[in-house]
Amino acid sequence: MTNTTHGAPLAPEVSPPQTKTKAGGGFLGRAGIVGGVLVIAIVIALLRSGSGLVVWQSVVTGILTGGLYGLIAMGLTLIFGVLDIVNFAHGALLAVAMFISFGMVSATGMHPYLTLVIAIPALFLIGAAVHRGLLSGSGGKSLENQLLITLGLSLLLENGLLMFFGAEPKAIALPGDFQFPLLGAVVAGSRLYAFLGAIALGALLYWLLRRTRLGTAIRAVAANGPGAELVGINVRRIHTLTFAIGTACAGAAAALAGPLVTVTPTLGEQFNITAFVVVVLGGMGNVVGALVGGLLIGLVEQLTTIYLGGQSSLLGVFVVFILVLFLRPQGLFGRKTA
Amino acid sequence: MAARKLIAALGACALLATGCGGSAPVGAGGAAAGRDEGPVKIGALHPVSGSNAVDGQQMRRGAQMAVDAINAAGGIKSLGGRKVELITGDTQGKADIGQSEAQRLISTGAVGLVGTYQSAVSTNVAVVAERNRVPFVADVTATDAVYANGYRYAFRIQPGSAVIATAAAQYLQQVSQQAGKPVRKVAFLHEQSDFGSGAADAFTEAARGLGIEVGPDISYDATTVSDLTAQVTQVKASGADVLAVAGYYRDSLLAAKAIASVKPDLNAVWGVSNGAYDQPKFVADAGDLGALYFSTNYHYDANNPQTTALREQYQRTYGDPMRTGAVLSYDAVQVIAQAVEKAASTDPQQVRDAIAAAQVAPLTVGNGPIQFADNGDNRNALAVLMQIQDGQVKQVYPPEKAESRPEYQVTWRP
Repeated sequence: MTNTTHGAPLAPEVSPPQTKTKAGGGFLGRAGIVGGVLVIAIVIALLRSGSGLVVWQSVVTGILTGGLYGLIAMGLTLIFGVLDIVNFAHGALLAVAMFISFGMVSATGMHPYLTLVIAIPALFLIGAAVHRGLLSGSGGKSLENQLLITLGLSLLLENGLLMFFGAEPKAIALPGDFQFPLLGAVVAGSRLYAFLGAIALGALLYWLLRRTRLGTAIRAVAANGPGAELVGINVRRIHTLTFAIGTACAGAAAALAGPLVTVTPTLGEQFNITAFVVVVLGGMGNVVGALVGGLLIGLVEQLTTIYLGGQSSLLGVFVVFILVLFLRPQGLFGRKTA
Repeated sequence: MAARKLIAALGACALLATGCGGSAPVGAGGAAAGRDEGPVKIGALHPVSGSNAVDGQQMRRGAQMAVDAINAAGGIKSLGGRKVELITGDTQGKADIGQSEAQRLISTGAVGLVGTYQSAVSTNVAVVAERNRVPFVADVTATDAVYANGYRYAFRIQPGSAVIATAAAQYLQQVSQQAGKPVRKVAFLHEQSDFGSGAADAFTEAARGLGIEVGPDISYDATTVSDLTAQVTQVKASGADVLAVAGYYRDSLLAAKAIASVKPDLNAVWGVSNGAYDQPKFVADAGDLGALYFSTNYHYDANNPQTTALREQYQRTYGDPMRTGAVLSYDAVQVIAQAVEKAASTDPQQVRDAIAAAQVAPLTVGNGPIQFADNGDNRNALAVLMQIQDGQVKQVYPPEKAESRPEYQVTWRP
């Protein structure tokens, strides 16, 4: 029940706030360095491509795509930060939520964003059931078991979807989708909505963790399991709730991102690796860090495309990933565990 | 601690994804088992699960329909009317599994194999077939590498990657000249693996030979890409008047969305071996976005009444339109069955010799009967140009295969 041996990392959201001023200064410094590096990278891209429009479009696309990555990574980072579970099934749960959204849209013709009200509770319940049924028992204690359980679950979900819905790729149409020019670059409305949704979800989670009793309990459990239990917090319930909130985030992400992607049972694979990189980059357990990390990864992907003439954009992502692991293993916005 | 845990987990994940491949049985031990009695067995290897399951299932059904047609017509007459049986394997889209499944089907007594939809899988299956001396007739396999190894047992029905790309360049020049807007500069957008890059290289070489400028050459990672707007903006900035696209379904759909939002100054969008732009599914998903897109690819012969009958039967039985891949599987099974008929034997080596000398009328577009060159390629394989017109994929070029005339333009420009 208590998860002390795997002491979870303490990220700003889930750690006691007493050192806030000191950390605030370091945070601004780091943000400045990251921003400076980014500006230099963009200038180099400008020199490399010779077309301002291409670079500008890349930056806009990078930020919008990055919002999508952040959206998907937020639930993952919450689960990882509080429960210390590497949830490989996150991508598959995202796919499940996409199919729920797709099913609602094609059955009732409702607006894709309205499926939020079904996808979020559905994924919340699925998450709670998965944690209670598979992960919270003694079987889910060790790293290897968690790994096999979540990986096995992702295979099960993917193949279940394949059986029920078939492998035929599906599309969720967004009625009244539009696009508008932004200083020469084009911005698709659906991407902008997903981006704004990511920011809203980030803000909501931040508020939940910082300003509510539940959030305080979650942070307490993350910081010190036995201590939380001693003051009367039901640690197992908090773990289940956190896992469920994390998967509910996947539900929200799916409803918002549905119109942007081709819905297939294996679509989670497309985002899994990127989402893990974003989690590490942003600091594990740090919801706002995940959003910023997502934006950074989105930009890095697009800029790599310019640098390397379109070769694997993941190359740049992993170069940044390894650099961050060397220089700041706790993530750009994470804090060293004591 | 947590970071280390994550790295360990990622590492384990990578191992699980790529490893576990060393268990394929080796050797020709069971190669002769059970061929002399019972039905004549033909092996079909397709990805019926995994991300290409739709095509895999289509192709398995196409092969089964060929077998049913042969049995309904009285089986193999030269063997006293012995029936034909399709034995199937699921490659899951993975080369190592395709390899072990090929071995299994051969051990079960297959006189020949058809498959596999994916180049990487076919590469391994061809090796197994060669080692066991059992003919392998590829239905869909784009890569030309398999047929440059001097294999004796590997054959292929579809036109290869280079044939399609070369035809795409020639058709582009001819169609654009006929429309009075001769092509000047082609930007090439392609996914970065063998399939897309191979198509781009072959197209570039052929186009340069015809005096067409090709550039910029833009690639992307088909498995992870989620937006191609910046890439299409690059096309717009380059001033190219044609955009060629070689990709799989999902990424080609993304490209169509990006093209619709950026609206580059193009005269045509030109699919090369494209996995989307000649699919009815794409027309449904993309709607107006995909109107007037061109695609050069292998295709079922829309003007052949037999093909039409077969596709109608498929539609009735399975409720889906039959894709070209499934028609190619049908052709491939026919090639093996007719070779067994001609050889009057189930000995794979005699079947192989009969295939090498075969002349089989195809249901896919070709210059004539299926006839194999020394390297195993179908000498008469022909790529055809299609265009999405009025919500339908129509064959438009060359004229003798056309259902309709090409309209060389895009919807967002006059």
